[in-house]
Amino acid sequence: MPTFMRSRLANGINLFIHPTVKFKTILVQLIFHRALKEDDVTESSLLPSVLQRGSGNYPNRMAIANRLEELYGTELMSGVTKKGERLMVTFTLDLVHDQYLPGESSLLKKALEVLSDVVTNPVLAGESFKEDYVSQEKEQHEKLIKGLINDKIAYSVERCLQHMCEHEPFGVFKFGSVERLKAIDGPALYHYYRDFLRESRADLHISGDVDAAAVSALAQQVFGFERGEEAALAATTVQKKMGDVRYVKEELDVSQGKLVLGYRTRVTYADDDYFPLLVYNGILGSFPHSKLFQNVREKASLAYYTYSRLEKHKGLMLISSGIEVNNYEKALEIINQQLSDMTQGDFTKEDLENTRSGLRNQFLVEEDSQGSVINRVLDGMMVGREENTAELLNRLAAVTREDVARVAANVYLDTVYFLTKRGGA
Amino acid sequence: MVRILENQLLNEKVYVQQIAPGLEVFVLPKKGYVKKYVTYAANFGSIDSRFIVDGEDKELSVPDGVAHFLEHKLFEDEDGNVFDRFARLGASSNAFTNFNNTAYLFSCTDYFTECLDLLLDFVQTPYFTTESVEKEKGIIEQEIRMYEDNPQWRIFFNLLAAMYQEHPVRVDIAGTVESIRQIDKDVLYKCYRTFYHPSNMALFVVGDVDPGRVLAQVEANLSKRNYKELGEIKRIYPGEPAEIGKDFVRQELVVSQPLLNLGFKERDLGYQGERLFKKELATNLMLDVVFGSSSKLYNELYEEGLIDDEFDAGYVAEQDYGHTILGGETVDPDRLLERLTAGIKEAQAKGISEKQFEHYRRKAMGEFLKSFNSLEFIANNFLAYHFRQINFFTYLDVLQSVTLADVNSRLHQHLVQDSMVRSLILPKKG
Repeated sequence: MPTFMRSRLANGINLFIHPTVKFKTILVQLIFHRALKEDDVTESSLLPSVLQRGSGNYPNRMAIANRLEELYGTELMSGVTKKGERLMVTFTLDLVHDQYLPGESSLLKKALEVLSDVVTNPVLAGESFKEDYVSQEKEQHEKLIKGLINDKIAYSVERCLQHMCEHEPFGVFKFGSVERLKAIDGPALYHYYRDFLRESRADLHISGDVDAAAVSALAQQVFGFERGEEAALAATTVQKKMGDVRYVKEELDVSQGKLVLGYRTRVTYADDDYFPLLVYNGILGSFPHSKLFQNVREKASLAYYTYSRLEKHKGLMLISSGIEVNNYEKALEIINQQLSDMTQGDFTKEDLENTRSGLRNQFLVEEDSQGSVINRVLDGMMVGREENTAELLNRLAAVTREDVARVAANVYLDTVYFLTKRGGA
Repeated sequence: MVRILENQLLNEKVYVQQIAPGLEVFVLPKKGYVKKYVTYAANFGSIDSRFIVDGEDKELSVPDGVAHFLEHKLFEDEDGNVFDRFARLGASSNAFTNFNNTAYLFSCTDYFTECLDLLLDFVQTPYFTTESVEKEKGIIEQEIRMYEDNPQWRIFFNLLAAMYQEHPVRVDIAGTVESIRQIDKDVLYKCYRTFYHPSNMALFVVGDVDPGRVLAQVEANLSKRNYKELGEIKRIYPGEPAEIGKDFVRQELVVSQPLLNLGFKERDLGYQGERLFKKELATNLMLDVVFGSSSKLYNELYEEGLIDDEFDAGYVAEQDYGHTILGGETVDPDRLLERLTAGIKEAQAKGISEKQFEHYRRKAMGEFLKSFNSLEFIANNFLAYHFRQINFFTYLDVLQSVTLADVNSRLHQHLVQDSMVRSLILPKKG
């Protein structure tokens, strides 16, 4: 049984209302789905920044910021995330529920109007966005693309994925490329934007202490803009054929080496085997009691951080660890040993049960965060899995040692990426 | 005696009781939340590096990074790893050390009572061996190395090291690879005995719990331990000159563009409680007016491409030190410095208006209310303020008591040229 109400606005935007009295805020997310493609991602990740530079009623950045501050520090944020081979372009509003604000009412309406103005009523110069907004945001975007290297942990993970999925859409960097950026101008981006609004699948989520009927009417009123037929979205490709392991080394002038291993799991959130895979990943590396933390960190003292995580829509698993560059061979050997122990079924009943309890905890606490609740629904919609917490917990409870062994046998190593010191090991 | 702190606008209550031998316990019931979050903190941080151990008369000076090292080692006891025992209860546990405090925490959904006892037990049961202390050095060394590659972290600590001449806030919380090599089990036990007495600690519980039961459970846990009363902790902080140490510091790292931070050293020091809180809120309001995302200065700098939307300004208020740090990534640090310096002068010449002041105060109020969704935010802040003799619930009242004159006086007295430090990170060539 879902805990939200789903409907559709006249223009085809999917509306999800999540009524709850738990929070002091209302969280709104307007999410556009794009197929992840090299020739789309630069535009779609640049677009929100240009829109946030000004709108019909708030013609510049300062006017938007000023209005949001008047609305008791309402936050309007935008961002892009990869979910499988889709790029989610998200606009978020986070505002205080006006029951906590004496003398204030209809704060949600006022905030939604700002969001709608920003998304649907941009500042134009003829058939173009305002040119200096575009050129300035292109400069900012170029810095964003180049700035990946400033965070060595994120950089090494991204580099591993780029090598691993070189010939798949998933290998595309979510901010696009400097090369494509250079070709974008005001008219071109405006043209892109009109198609983007018209044809992208769009979801509007509203979470908080709201009256569903009133909020539906409000959403219809504020987001009633005209749209066309939605573009089809291809399913994420899941590579299942094993080839030779690819080894990549990159040198930079760094203090610590970063070892990242990319695996194919052959299982995604669409499969019921996702739950055994979740348990597998938990025993291996997503908790402090997991094998990686216990063996790489606690026993061998090789690392401070070492973990594994899943990309649930693409069927990938990543292991990431920061180590002394001279310890590359040693760390790799210990990590490989943990994977092979998993395949051999060499884990205790306690490992299994501790992991199950930890995952149960994670599913449960998602309900304490409006963002997590929305994200779960979003993930579920992508694969047709509409299960509530109780149903997810049942799936988790049903996972057996044999299930874990079955998914373990299917996990294989694809790419080993090592960021090392210049002239180092 | 249970006291109740209430905030009507927030619609929240905290139950407070001091439990023998002096542990301050706070319980905030959050109806409907599935998660319970608990933090147990010691008033002991990286700046507490010189003190007198109870029963001795000579001052002890400990290696840099010892508070953080101790935090790591408390997770081990005679039976092994504490993480495992939280894992058995489906809970997740962690800890953090900052300049002033060390906090141990867990979050859980089931087995709350068992988790709470486990937290109290492991923090109150130090078990350090030579072997386990040696083993931890490799792990913490990698933690330090990780931060050495982190430009935000480096620009921050470089700045503090330049700003302060004597005060230990100038030293990295984790210490250095060299300083942690000097740590042994004896020094850990000495620190533990000095600072981990319940009367130098506090506990915060938040979630859908019954305050009476929680308080009774904590009392039962502590009463069996035969604590003696703690004498006075003699912490020694060196006298810090009012002047900055150096006005400029730079480092080269592998980054895509330069980073510039400006720091302003506080001169108006020496108090705690509400007065300290008011100074903090007034200063942050002032920074928001001058550098916030709707300010004229911010928007000009953004349009000129000198800053991005990560540009930020914030103030830290402690009894013995305080500073503002502002800045971010930039293509042209010289030009940005020039523009910021001119922007500050202009703001000082014009002063802050009543309208601006009310506008930003309203924003601050909304942001405070919003943050009360997060159990972690509530618990961590409540304790951090508690150790500075501040009741965090008074935030909105103190905010209301700040005047336009306070904010303008901070603008003129705090943002002064000769207390300013520049910290720069430049892209490494080649």
